[in-house]
Amino acid sequence: MHEIHEGAAFRLTSGSLLFNVRNLFFRYSNDIPALFGVNADISPGDRIALVGKNGSGKTTLIKLLCGLLAPEDGEVRYKGKPLAGQRLEQARLELGVLFQDPDDQLFMHTVIEDAAFGPGQQGKSQKEAQLAAIKALHQVGLEKMAYKAPHNLSFGQKKRAALAGLLAMNPEVLLLDEPTANLDPNQEQVFLDLLKNFTGTLICISHDLIFLYELCDRAVVIDQGRIHHDYTLRELVSQRHTLREHGLDFSFRLVMTPSAPDPDSEVIENTLSQSAPASEKTEDPPIVELHGFQYRYPDGTLALQNVTFSIRKGERISIVGENGAGKSTLLSCLVGLLQGKGDYRFAGKTVTRKECKRLWRRVGIVFQDCADQLFCSSVKEELAFGLHRLGYSRSETEPRVCRALSMVRLEGFEDRVPLHLSGGERKRLALACVLIMEPELLILDEPTAGLDPQGEELLLNILYNLDVTLVLVSHDVFFMKELTRRTLVMHQGKILEDLPIQTFMQDDRLGDLNGLSYMYRLRSSRDIRILQHEHEHSHPHTHLHTHPHRHENLVHEHTHAHEHDHPHRFVHRHPGEEKKHDHMPRRYHHHDHSDHDRESHDHSHENNNTDK
Amino acid sequence: MVHISLWYLPLLVLLPLTVLAIIAVWLRRVAHRQSIAEEEPDWSVPALGDEEGGISPLHRWDVRCKIVTILGFSFVIASLGHLGPALTAVGISLIVSVISKVSLARVLFRLLALTGFLGMLVVVMPFTVPTHSGDTLVIFGNTDWLCLNLRGLLLSATISARAVAIALLMEPLFSTAPLPVTLHGLCRLGVPEMASQSVLLSYRYVHVFRHEARRMSAGMQVRGFRKRTDIQTLRTVAYFLGMLFVRSFERTERVFEAMRARGYRGRFPEPVELRMRTMDILMASVWLVAAAVLITYDRILF
Repeated sequence: MHEIHEGAAFRLTSGSLLFNVRNLFFRYSNDIPALFGVNADISPGDRIALVGKNGSGKTTLIKLLCGLLAPEDGEVRYKGKPLAGQRLEQARLELGVLFQDPDDQLFMHTVIEDAAFGPGQQGKSQKEAQLAAIKALHQVGLEKMAYKAPHNLSFGQKKRAALAGLLAMNPEVLLLDEPTANLDPNQEQVFLDLLKNFTGTLICISHDLIFLYELCDRAVVIDQGRIHHDYTLRELVSQRHTLREHGLDFSFRLVMTPSAPDPDSEVIENTLSQSAPASEKTEDPPIVELHGFQYRYPDGTLALQNVTFSIRKGERISIVGENGAGKSTLLSCLVGLLQGKGDYRFAGKTVTRKECKRLWRRVGIVFQDCADQLFCSSVKEELAFGLHRLGYSRSETEPRVCRALSMVRLEGFEDRVPLHLSGGERKRLALACVLIMEPELLILDEPTAGLDPQGEELLLNILYNLDVTLVLVSHDVFFMKELTRRTLVMHQGKILEDLPIQTFMQDDRLGDLNGLSYMYRLRSSRDIRILQHEHEHSHPHTHLHTHPHRHENLVHEHTHAHEHDHPHRFVHRHPGEEKKHDHMPRRYHHHDHSDHDRESHDHSHENNNTDK
Repeated sequence: MVHISLWYLPLLVLLPLTVLAIIAVWLRRVAHRQSIAEEEPDWSVPALGDEEGGISPLHRWDVRCKIVTILGFSFVIASLGHLGPALTAVGISLIVSVISKVSLARVLFRLLALTGFLGMLVVVMPFTVPTHSGDTLVIFGNTDWLCLNLRGLLLSATISARAVAIALLMEPLFSTAPLPVTLHGLCRLGVPEMASQSVLLSYRYVHVFRHEARRMSAGMQVRGFRKRTDIQTLRTVAYFLGMLFVRSFERTERVFEAMRARGYRGRFPEPVELRMRTMDILMASVWLVAAAVLITYDRILF
């Protein structure tokens, strides 16, 4: 285990402290310890990324910072005074906390009432509160939804409405818990722009380090209730071994070309050839065939219009589209939960109303929020549920349960309560519950939502090894690219395009139409990749340079060459993107660098030369 | 006592039932058609108009006055004993519904909710009311044990008319002001604030829990769950309800935390500043006169 940077705590960046946390201990009522001896100093204007695995204590720390939880031991001071009593009441009006689920936060009856709630509590008059709410709604682009009931908003709109409720209070500090989880890239970009413009102190929890890289300056890594690192975010993302140690290594996502998977990732062990479209291998009828299919909601909204496509056995396709494009409705129709009009054939057979009720035997779906499909009291029961419905006996069930658990790396979890599992574990359990029924078609709805990078990588590896026809609905271009070969682009209930994933990736027009612009992600990924390869090294060498020097009595400057031995900050292509290299990033080291003086080479020198 | 052929019996039972069923189906269709909005409403303005610019006199009426008056009037309707005044009350309620420009679909859905109960009442009551002297009884053939009491028929029609009149009034009462404003008015009339807040939050989260329950139910269906009359179904439904309860409880805690984090200290901000004006009193007086007329009509003229 590496050394924990306990002494460092949060560094002071400027002036007086906003938060001063000393020796904080906290345990939940079920005796699960959550934080141990946390020390932290936060100054006004800090933009802190609070990162760590699921269950590491990040949310608990945020709740302690805003006084929603009281520490078992230790102290939280806000602006120099203990966060308790009257001070706490006052502090709550200056702090804005954005929770993960916006439905928790939108408790009033219209969006504007909700946005005006905070200002009202701050003592503003009704009119002032209303004005503050309108201004905040304008900031988040929801002024046209002001009088809509929160339950009628889309998820992205709810998230923005929740943020508006905080911005209306003009907070000094924003504490954000997974602000972009489950958002489409368009909404994510809106959030990013809003938060970039926020001038106060920002503390943000997220598993999305690429998003954080754009937003924050400082990174605090929490693991098992302790602060392990506190440094700049640039330092964190560049130190891959640290990321991996804390389950945060997202570097597997930085490989942007399908032909060059990350050499360090376990993913390399698998090949995409497994997922090659079966259309190339078989002449069987398509497993799914929709022709002129449409679905209308009971309120008359046309959710799917003239949907026509087919999926061959063994094929892996992804479906993309903005929130509300009709993806989830299409999935519900595919799995038989909804019945639309038009021609739907499964394995060559028309799906009638009667067939629709039997589709569950052949189609498996993992929901976006997998808690919706876990309801039994133990993992074992959860897995056996579907098998019992299929008519398997107890003796047949046992070995299948073991096999399914091992497939999703949950061995030994048989008697655990599904509700108490972490997000990643629950996701894998939901997948196992579906896989155990051996579906002919597997549907995954946003499988990466809410997972930490370690969980994502594990899930990716599991999905790679599956030999099943796959339909993936995701905003996560990396997962789409890694797992599928074909993409259906949906927009306003229609399928706009049906094209190979590579073509989709290169088509900016489609990305813009669906709000799937990934420009900042590509830019950040490139920056981070460079950072991860940046390092210093030294070796004797000569180069041409200018510096004052003395020739007897004459002191002058001119360009000349002589031998040096000093470190250079060094960024290069190392030694070609596709080859494996294993030096520790950003560490001083030697490596072969022949012909440094004579041949042109690709690196930048920074001003840390110590020429003599 | 009137004697008629036995074959009239099924006619007299089936006819009202059929008529009611046809009406119910028609109402449902109309309500459904009406409930489908042709275009998205403009959500940048209040759906009910603001205090000054409400879309009808009932929208502009002080909510306290409105609650007291309409509830009082409903009690008067409930006390009517004759069909004539009850039908007059239905007429008044219809006029009020039209004036207040309430949604036809919602009025119809409200009436539809009553049709089952009222239909049963209209069919069963004429055969089951105790016979008093002077009652007109219709006897079918030789079945002396089964006679239709016309007083019972009249009574069931009166009850139905009263129920319809009151149901029609509920829409102008609840739809002409946002729920928080109505609850605020109730608080001002003495209802405990905690009760009002509970109703407010329940109304907000009933939709969330409904969605949650629907998603969980879908999660069970895709893994083969179908309701049967066996122990397995019972166990699964118990799991479902248990999980729904746990999730609801956890959400309640999270909502409370979110409220506290935004400075909640036991009170919601007042949604509007309530002011009683002369016009409000005048409107209440009009209702009072209508109520007096109805009572007079019911008690003196009959």
